[in-house]
Amino acid sequence: MSRVIAVCGKGGVGKTTISALLSRLLAKGGDGRILVVDADPAVGLGMALNYFPDRSVNDIRMEIITAVKERRTDSVDLAASVDYKLMEIVAESGKLGFLSMGRPEDEGCYCQVNTFLREAIESLSSHFDLTLIDAEAGVEQINRRVMRSVSHLLLVSDTSLKGIRVAETICKVADEAVDYRKLGLVINLARHQDEYSRLSEATELPVLGWIPEDETIREFDTMARSFLEIPSCPALQAVRHMLLDNDFLS
Amino acid sequence: MGLFDKPLEDIRSYIETKRVQGKARVLPFAPVLPRADSSQIILSEDMGLELGNPGVASRSLLLWDIEDGVVDNRIVLVGPDFQEADTPSLPFAMAIMASGEFSDEYDCYRDLRDAIYGLKLRGFMTRIFPGRQSIWCRVGKEALAAGFNAQILGSAVIQTLKELDFVHSAEVLLVTSSKEEVNELSPAADMVMDIVEALIKMYEEMNFDCESCEYFDVCEGVVELRLIRDKLQAEKKKDTAGSVGEGNRT
Repeated sequence: MSRVIAVCGKGGVGKTTISALLSRLLAKGGDGRILVVDADPAVGLGMALNYFPDRSVNDIRMEIITAVKERRTDSVDLAASVDYKLMEIVAESGKLGFLSMGRPEDEGCYCQVNTFLREAIESLSSHFDLTLIDAEAGVEQINRRVMRSVSHLLLVSDTSLKGIRVAETICKVADEAVDYRKLGLVINLARHQDEYSRLSEATELPVLGWIPEDETIREFDTMARSFLEIPSCPALQAVRHMLLDNDFLS
Repeated sequence: MGLFDKPLEDIRSYIETKRVQGKARVLPFAPVLPRADSSQIILSEDMGLELGNPGVASRSLLLWDIEDGVVDNRIVLVGPDFQEADTPSLPFAMAIMASGEFSDEYDCYRDLRDAIYGLKLRGFMTRIFPGRQSIWCRVGKEALAAGFNAQILGSAVIQTLKELDFVHSAEVLLVTSSKEEVNELSPAADMVMDIVEALIKMYEEMNFDCESCEYFDVCEGVVELRLIRDKLQAEKKKDTAGSVGEGNRT
């Protein structure tokens, strides 16, 4: 059964960094084919992984809407067009595929196009062993735009109580909206074990561990280098320990 | 007379020209189907050969004929067979021609198209973009090594079409030689698209205001389209008269 992991949390807590580190580990691990979806309108994950696709899912959505307006088409042709265009925008590197959702723009109601797109993404995802989604804050977006089913929900918070509370809110929404199998919270940018312990006691969410501040991350961010090339460093080791060694992704 | 007399004639002429030039070869039909349960996704890493990538020339045509203008079970290949390709990506055109009893052209069109869209072969990815009449395929490394070739693809298409009750014979033209030789089929492909769009409009809108119709020129050039229009118009009049009669009774 293919796994779909959504990385969620308050803005600015490091979801994209953790998604990028996880992509790096999965790309070089033995998990088979990985589909990475940048669903954050800020499109930071593409930059972190040095993927700069010409077009996003939203771009092809607009192209299809234009085509529907210009040319006679039925639902079968529409579904075929969506499938074709989606495959066209998957950036590939080895066993890793990358898809950028782009910035959503409202152009009236094109429910059929949106439905076909979501179904096509789900179908695409089903051909990968694992799908990793860097989500925008909240989880409704996943249901609405990307996927209906998420198997693993990875909540991220920084060391602020506000970050923890947002993660708790997302968990509450997810309990009603998403049929997930596993959920865990990661504390990002903690300075030491005491800080992590204090925060993990402040929540009832299952806490997977913490990621330290790391100069290597800062350097890769500053130099806009691909996180797929990041060497072993404390942050990468922490992500590996929490999510891979402890079987969170199984 | 048939709907596609002119494009069929153009394809016949194309095949004859390539035969005279020594560029076309006929492959024997071999009814062996390596069918897959679901549509395939083949990433670059697992790809042995790509056909009709969106960045290169690609054409996909589907035509039918009520008379015996189709050479049954014939697969014509212009260009290298899949194993003979000396580059990982080839331009590609596939013209599918069927002959049989098409009592309702629109239903038959949809059945033919659905059969082609539904054809799933192991180790072979297909994406069709009807709006551009493009077809994009990938043959997996393993499938290519196991002998997946133009004969298998052509045979699978023919066999799939002939599973439809109303299809008596089917023929496939595959072009892998060059962008120019793929694009030589563009005028025929454009004609096919215009005729199919006019047909869809007639059946779906049942609006016979020909003077304001964007497909007026298309119908003017295709006798069979005008006959279909007359038939639909007569049916519409009959239906209208019937409903008026029923209205009078109440």
